Amino acid sequence: MGRRYALHADIPFGASRQTAGSPLPADRALSAAHTVPQPLLEISGLTKRYGEQIALTEVGFAVNAGELLGLIGPNGAGKTTLLETIAGVLPADAGEIVWHGVRLPQARRREVMFYLPDGVRPYPEQPVLRVLEFFAGVYRRSDAHLADVIAVLGLAPSLQKRVHALSKGYARRLMLALGWLAPHPLLLMDEPFDGFDLRQTQEIVRQLRRSASEGRTLILAIHQLADAERVCDRFVLLADGRVRDAGTLAELRQRANRPEASLEDIFLALT
Amino acid sequence: MRSRDALMIGRAPFAPLIAKELREILGGRALWIMLLLICPLIGYSFFEAASLYGEASEAATQSPVVAASLSPLDGILVPTFGAAYVAVTLMFPFVAIRVLGQEKESGALHLLAQLPYRASTLIAAKLAAVFAAWALASIPMLSALVVWRLLGGHLSIPETTNLLGGHALYGLLVGAIALFAAAISESAATAAIVTLAFTIGSWVLDFTLAGHPGLADWIAQLSLTQILRSFEQGLLSFGLVAGILTTAAGLAALAAVWLPPGVPVRSKLIRSAMCIIAVLVGLGASSQIKLSLDVTEDRRNSFPLADERALAKLFDPLVVKVHLAPEDPRYADLRRNVLAKLERAMPHVSIRFFGGRQGVGTGDDAYGEVEYVYGGRSDVSRSTSPREILPLLYDLAGAQRPQAEPGADYPGYPLIADAYWSLPWFFGALPLLVAFAWWRSRRPPRINPSWCVTEVST
Repeated sequence: MGRRYALHADIPFGASRQTAGSPLPADRALSAAHTVPQPLLEISGLTKRYGEQIALTEVGFAVNAGELLGLIGPNGAGKTTLLETIAGVLPADAGEIVWHGVRLPQARRREVMFYLPDGVRPYPEQPVLRVLEFFAGVYRRSDAHLADVIAVLGLAPSLQKRVHALSKGYARRLMLALGWLAPHPLLLMDEPFDGFDLRQTQEIVRQLRRSASEGRTLILAIHQLADAERVCDRFVLLADGRVRDAGTLAELRQRANRPEASLEDIFLALT
Repeated sequence: MRSRDALMIGRAPFAPLIAKELREILGGRALWIMLLLICPLIGYSFFEAASLYGEASEAATQSPVVAASLSPLDGILVPTFGAAYVAVTLMFPFVAIRVLGQEKESGALHLLAQLPYRASTLIAAKLAAVFAAWALASIPMLSALVVWRLLGGHLSIPETTNLLGGHALYGLLVGAIALFAAAISESAATAAIVTLAFTIGSWVLDFTLAGHPGLADWIAQLSLTQILRSFEQGLLSFGLVAGILTTAAGLAALAAVWLPPGVPVRSKLIRSAMCIIAVLVGLGASSQIKLSLDVTEDRRNSFPLADERALAKLFDPLVVKVHLAPEDPRYADLRRNVLAKLERAMPHVSIRFFGGRQGVGTGDDAYGEVEYVYGGRSDVSRSTSPREILPLLYDLAGAQRPQAEPGADYPGYPLIADAYWSLPWFFGALPLLVAFAWWRSRRPPRINPSWCVTEVST
């Protein structure tokens, strides 16, 4: 495996992308070869079956660097399966993931993307601080960075609590904190607002936007369409394991021929 | 640049991973409950063993011959450590499964699998944590040794170390089985059933198949309980050690194959097949290692020292033609008393079977005979005792029987001791210490005051 993938991974939390280290040689070569902006990630023909049941059917879309992409669809649409197959924690039956124009095999996806699953309480017997310290240690994050993440996500009151004793909201914050500690350029999050009230959701949205403005790309699987409309730059509409449409809200409105419609209305019209 | 390094698979630091695994295994109840149960189990076994040893020692005060038969290895160590064996067989799987089973059940495996570690590194860290848990669980066992010494008992360092090493290898093997079971199972409960099928299944094999001829006997040899027998007899068999380590490494490798959730099952099956082939080759190579050491102080697995020296000088090949079925008790005696000792003492010994099956009316008059061929000469004996076989061999080789060396006899270590005062230690003080350590392990971590700044409204 001699290929090297373009990693924009060394973006410290709270710093802009311009402060990141210089790109890898492969990155510079790719940049020179492509004058037209290339998508960060291209997914094509992604198919997943569970026995006879088809969960994903030839799913394909592109993700641009620095954007917040919303994967939207009802429960059972295949959002989680799609995120897991992209992240490589679930084997796909067919399809291809391309990173900066280079095919990215399953085994190396974790070098460029980090997936935060829904409903996970990692290491339930451990205090929150220990879990955070573990991830900070693995990714060689400084104490200052860890302190920043704790402050930004308001985790200080729960640091000594065991993970199993956390409320749903704090458990979700812990997961977000792990994502914030991971230095990957692409973050995949499954239902990131689940467990938050409106005020907390707004705060988390602010943090996600801040993260995106610092150069990180986010793919969010959201079943609450109102939340998705508030947060995301572009949307991929998923239903029954198929991509029904993809684009910005304006593009979707245009295609649905409903200039004033909400994302919810468009989704109902297109699916 | 440091962050980029952190993302490269295999470049991440090992210390946070092993610290996490140790915290995980210490954070669960299983290890502490096992420790609390082991304390009285070991204590009772030790008390019973010391009491019986004391009773036997009373008779030894009148007879040096009886005294010479009293070895702390048989009288104290094996029965006391036997309690630990039962605990490791029945309870340790639940401790070991936890290091992976809980991550699977909580969904944390999806996070773990994305960290920049190879699957083999993850499993190595888990196996190291499991072994550390075994080391912690062996504290009551080690404390029994201290109590025995405080009572005035004798301990032979090589015997004790060898037996401890055997139990450590057994613990490692059970841990590796548990890890493998956790890797292939969806839940910890299923993993526990798989592991207990191995460990308790070994007992079933022992009870039902041992002593039966042919395939049944061969299958019985695969039993996990057979592993400890050699160590309990005071033998350090390098082939056995290599076999155990190969099996444990193979199970760990299989666990590493089945750990990553994103790899298709077909790929896992292919890699597993390759792993199994490698393990079988390793086990085949291990079985060819004949080197073993008798670490017992009474040299029960060896001939007298003078004979050993004389036999070591017989460089021609010795061929032993055994007209006995392998399941015949006489063969077991011959094997233990003569053949195994000859294999360690002489440079070239080969054993051939001509016995087939023992049966009424087979008409094989030679059945029961053992023919010894050395230097073109041969002789036959039906004895299983070295007192008759060694002179026969010296005659075949035309060598003088060596004189017994004075002062080489094992004196035995009788001890009449009151072991009652050990009971408060095993039933009171030690469990209290374990409970205290458990409480300490659950104390919340210290918080850096600078972290207590909240940005998000709650």
